[in-house]
Amino acid sequence: MFGPRIKIDRGLLASLTKASRIAGYATVDEFITHVLERAAAECERAESEDEVRKRLQGLGYMD
Amino acid sequence: MIVVVSGLPRSGTSLMMQMQEAGGLPVLTDNKRKADVHNPRGYYEYETVKRLASDNTWLPEAEGTAVKIVSLLLYELPDDLDYHVIFMRRRLAEVLRSQHRMLAAQSMDGPDDDAMRQHFERHLTELGQWAAVKQNIHWLDVDFQEVITTPSPISQRISQFLGLQLDEQSMAASVHPLLHRQVVEHNNGP
Repeated sequence: MFGPRIKIDRGLLASLTKASRIAGYATVDEFITHVLERAAAECERAESEDEVRKRLQGLGYMD
Repeated sequence: MIVVVSGLPRSGTSLMMQMQEAGGLPVLTDNKRKADVHNPRGYYEYETVKRLASDNTWLPEAEGTAVKIVSLLLYELPDDLDYHVIFMRRRLAEVLRSQHRMLAAQSMDGPDDDAMRQHFERHLTELGQWAAVKQNIHWLDVDFQEVITTPSPISQRISQFLGLQLDEQSMAASVHPLLHRQVVEHNNGP
C-alpha cells in the first residue's frame, strides 16, 4: 500500500490538492501519480524519437 | 494518389520499391545513392525526401508514383494530399543486425540493441496510432518475410490496396530467389 515517498513543498501540495479536486480525481495521490506517469511517458517518447532520429541520420536516411 | 513505401531502414523498403517498379508503377528516385553491398539492386531513394521536414514543395511531383520515405519522416507529410502507405515490417532483431552491418564502418555510439529495440518499438506504436486517425493516409502493413517467401499473394494484395492494375507476376518475379534462400537458411539455421 505504502510505496516509496517523495517530498514536495507544502505550497505545491496545496496547489496540487486543489487541482486534483478541479480535475475530478478521488485523491491527490491519484492525481499526482497520473501527472507523473504522463510526464515520464512524454520524456520516454521524446528520448525514443531522438534516438531513432540519430540512428536514421547515421544510416543516411535523414538530414 | 501518392504511393509511399515506408518502414525502418533495412526493413525491405528498397525491395518494395523494386516490386512497384516491376509492377509498372513509376518510382520517384534520383539514383544518387548508388547500389552497394548492402543494397545490390539499389536504394531507390530520392535525395530531396531527406529534407521533407523543411521542404515539401516537391511532393506534388510524386503524384502517381511510388516514393520511399523513412518512417520518422511520415509525420512531415502535409494533410492536403492523399497517400497510400505500404509499410514494411520486419523482425527488429533482423533490422538491428542489418543496420549494424551498414554502420560497421562508422562509430557505433548510442544505445545498445536492447535499448534501440525499445526505441523502435515505441516509435512504431506511436506512428501507427498517429496514422490511424489520419483521413488522408491509407495504410497497408507488409511483412518482409512474407514478401520473400510468398511474393505472389503479397503482390496481389498490394495491387488491390492501391486499386491499380499492376503486373503482379512481374512484381513477384522481381523478388530475388537469393533473398528467399537467405531467409529460409536463416530460419532453419542454428
